[in-house]
Amino acid sequence: MALSDLNFLVGGAQGSGLETTAQVLAPAFASRGYGVLANREYFSNIVGRHSYIHVRVSSSGEPKGLTYPVQLVGAMDAETIFTHWDDIAPGGYLVYDLGASRTRLIQIASMEPDLKKRLQEEFSKLGIQPTVEGVVKYLEEERKVKLVGLSFTAIFNALVQKYGVTRAQAQRFRSSILIGAITGLTGLDEEAVAFGLERRFAARKRVLEINKELVAAIAEEVRQEYGEPLKLEPSRGGPEEYVIATGNDVVAMAKIVGGIRYQAYYPITPASDESVFIEANESLNVDGKNLGNIVVLQTEDEISAISSVIGAALTGARSSTATSGPGFSLMVEALGWAGKNDVPIVITYYQRGGPSTGLPTRGSQSDLLFSLFASHGEFPRIILSSGDHLEAFYDAIEAYNLAERFQMPVIHLLDKFLANMIASMPMPDLEGVKIERGKTLFKAPRGPWKRFPRDEPLAERPVLGSGAWTWYTGDENDEWGHIDEDPVNRLIMYERRWKKMEIADREIPEDFRAHYYGPKDADFLLVGWGSVKIPALDALKELEGEGLKGAYLHVRMLSPLPKRMLQSILSTFDPDRVIVVEHNYIGQLAKLITMETGFMFKKFILKWTGRPIYVHELVEGVKEALSGRDKVVLSYGK
Amino acid sequence: MASRGVTYRTEVWSDWCPGCGDFGIVAAMTKAFQELGLDPANTVVVSGIGCSSKTPHFINMNGVHTIHGRGIAFATGIKLANPRLTVIVNGGDGDMLGIGVAHFVALGRRNIDMTVIIHDNQVYGLTKGQASPTLRRGEKTKSLPAPNIQDAVNPIALAIASGYTFVARGYSLWVDHLKELIKQAIQHKGAAVIDVLQPCVTYNDIYTAEFYKGRLYKLEDDPNWDPVVRDPSEEDEKIARALEKSKEWGNRIPVGVFYVNPLKDTYEDRIAQRNPYYNREAPPAFEEIAGEDGKPIIGPDEFKRLFAGYIVKAKRS
Ligand SMILES: Cc1ncc(C[n+]2csc(CCOP(=O)(O)OP(=O)(O)O)c2C)c(N)n1
Ligand SMILES: [Mg+2]
Repeated sequence: MALSDLNFLVGGAQGSGLETTAQVLAPAFASRGYGVLANREYFSNIVGRHSYIHVRVSSSGEPKGLTYPVQLVGAMDAETIFTHWDDIAPGGYLVYDLGASRTRLIQIASMEPDLKKRLQEEFSKLGIQPTVEGVVKYLEEERKVKLVGLSFTAIFNALVQKYGVTRAQAQRFRSSILIGAITGLTGLDEEAVAFGLERRFAARKRVLEINKELVAAIAEEVRQEYGEPLKLEPSRGGPEEYVIATGNDVVAMAKIVGGIRYQAYYPITPASDESVFIEANESLNVDGKNLGNIVVLQTEDEISAISSVIGAALTGARSSTATSGPGFSLMVEALGWAGKNDVPIVITYYQRGGPSTGLPTRGSQSDLLFSLFASHGEFPRIILSSGDHLEAFYDAIEAYNLAERFQMPVIHLLDKFLANMIASMPMPDLEGVKIERGKTLFKAPRGPWKRFPRDEPLAERPVLGSGAWTWYTGDENDEWGHIDEDPVNRLIMYERRWKKMEIADREIPEDFRAHYYGPKDADFLLVGWGSVKIPALDALKELEGEGLKGAYLHVRMLSPLPKRMLQSILSTFDPDRVIVVEHNYIGQLAKLITMETGFMFKKFILKWTGRPIYVHELVEGVKEALSGRDKVVLSYGK
Repeated sequence: MASRGVTYRTEVWSDWCPGCGDFGIVAAMTKAFQELGLDPANTVVVSGIGCSSKTPHFINMNGVHTIHGRGIAFATGIKLANPRLTVIVNGGDGDMLGIGVAHFVALGRRNIDMTVIIHDNQVYGLTKGQASPTLRRGEKTKSLPAPNIQDAVNPIALAIASGYTFVARGYSLWVDHLKELIKQAIQHKGAAVIDVLQPCVTYNDIYTAEFYKGRLYKLEDDPNWDPVVRDPSEEDEKIARALEKSKEWGNRIPVGVFYVNPLKDTYEDRIAQRNPYYNREAPPAFEEIAGEDGKPIIGPDEFKRLFAGYIVKAKRS
């Protein structure tokens, strides 16, 4: 019976071609109309540490939430087998290197001692020999896992002989061995794989040819022996065209559509790929026609990044920076200056695991309250958070619109999960996109200009170079932007800034700021934000199959919070049937909603291991929460 | 556009201490602007925080008074997004060489076409006279409980080592001399810095006007002093001489131009070398990003062309 969903994982040492595996297979499956979501887990390390991609391919045509167990693990090395042996579904497949059979667990130097110790205990409990052979034998006998053993050495030798490549070069085709095996087992057609390979290796013809031949040969060999046991049913629907990209890429594309003209950044995971993407597109040329130019500046630190972004915004350029926690920590003083001076800037904030350096390459949602309260003093700000790639695309554009319309900083909160996940995103509807620049003036009468009229919270904003001249200061200011400490002026100016927030709260539709997914008469409610949306919606579908009818309340704008809408939805549920789901310890969204609406949350599903929330664990977590547990802590994933 | 009839001073009252050296700097600036006919609409005076950083409020041009140490960083965004603007950054010695020194160095590396004026009074004026990075070791100005035990940074040497292509020192009480330096700095293409010795009448009882009197001398009075690099081959030698000169302090203190290298590409040039569409006449900030109807310039077609490598057609059987 053909599958409707395929879950697989490919692991290996960082630097051994995992990214290639994802970059080839994601477009390959998408080209046949399948929805794809691929996450990459990796250490803060360049070469040698264990890394893996975890992929879900869905015949629904939509990218669906990642889940375990997987039907297939492709292991580039022994560490992958030790690390992920338990992730394979009974009756699933393990593709591995026969040459690694003798490797013992204690030999894996790159494995963290904690994990090694846990595995030793587990293996001894189950009577598993702590070697690859022992684990593989156990899987075969006890879990009915089918073993697809290949001799990587023999394959490399054949490459050396056939193509005259060096041994070192041959090693680099490791990813194609796995791609070949996956192709064979899933019955993905040759044309689709070739398409994926061409995307990845287009510029290198010879490498492309070798890869194509190798993948085809391995696929054929595997198919001969095992058939196509993981064949997917034909795609059942979905868009005609996908954008296959990471969250970083998608946001970069959106910023370009949104008219970005200045981006400054200081390198940091998982944000900088976005800036690098924009820099690669600094000159927007189509058919030899120049459509725009973007300055991308790599600065000396994040303070400089945000400061220069503010400067650029004062000139009228749509300006932004991209960073994560440590970088944002450095930006907060300047953020306050922008907030005080009605400057439209956008900060794209990819959350990772804190505090401090924390888990620098893993995800989190632990900076919601920080982004809301960062910087001393009080000033209005807009905070948006996107639930998936497509939302991130629209929100990245909307962030500029909101910043300019309401003349305040906008923080676009994303996370490492979205940043690094490759998704098959439906082609965005660009016909529906509108650029709104508020009261920005590029031409203004010559002369000094009263930038901060007392009776106009959202005043005309002549940019530097418009003809008018203006003053700005971090001190409290008068209508001209000059320093003014008078208490009456203070009353007025302080209120003037907050009036903008009232206007924003009035003008931004609440049904944009939050969305209720599910039936009106749901008997429980999940509440979440950001990328929790992906597993939450899929978990609801599974729970529905088990007779549990739930809904998901997705909060997309954290400031101004759509409190009337939240209140009215939350008040229809028994608080025992409302569960907040977040990637943090203290339930930050719950605290925020309580603060703004008075609603008290009683049920929490939380995860702070830095790994995504998986559908299977969320399903179990919801059941536990509904049957009495107040706090469920999720921790699945390596 | 030259600006006749512009009053370069605002009516904002300068709340500096009577006799403060900052008055001389503002006087020199406004005179220089007048003589250059700078257009207030296309000039931006940026500053950080400190007594000296209040400067923009007293000048009748665009003024951006930012946060402590970050004036150069703000100015960088202003200039790169709209290279048509003339950008001048004012700040104290603490602002530029203490908290903001990373940006000070970075500007030299980039050689962005802007002018930096350091109000060098050897103290943190606005916070009541603590030692600034230019106060020498062993010196005890009025507010210090004990003599300073940190060494001073040499602004001239640091500027040269960082890559500034116009490096000068002025004196706030020699207004006409300073005015000329400011004019040259503004007209120079590239990152220009003037370290302006500025007596702090309230907190600095060492580097007083009295102290400077008789010690200061002008570099240009030596007919053999030629700080300008006229050929790339001269660069090393001119840098060496300027660095040597920068060490002179004590009984004789040089003011004037230490080093000029008009041959080095500005950052704006470097961007334009990579992307010829980047230029002063059509600054990125002023580009159209949407049509009349609000639709983005990058519409569905353009999107598909620009990002073809990411788009996959789904063939379903
Ligand atoms: C981040 C930060 N730290 C400290 C201060 C307090 N502060 C205000 S002005 C100043 C020093 C000013 O000295 P300098 O830059 O030399 O300028 P001057 O007042 O001497 O002209 C300091 C430390 C501040 N405003 N911001
Ligand atoms: Mg000072």
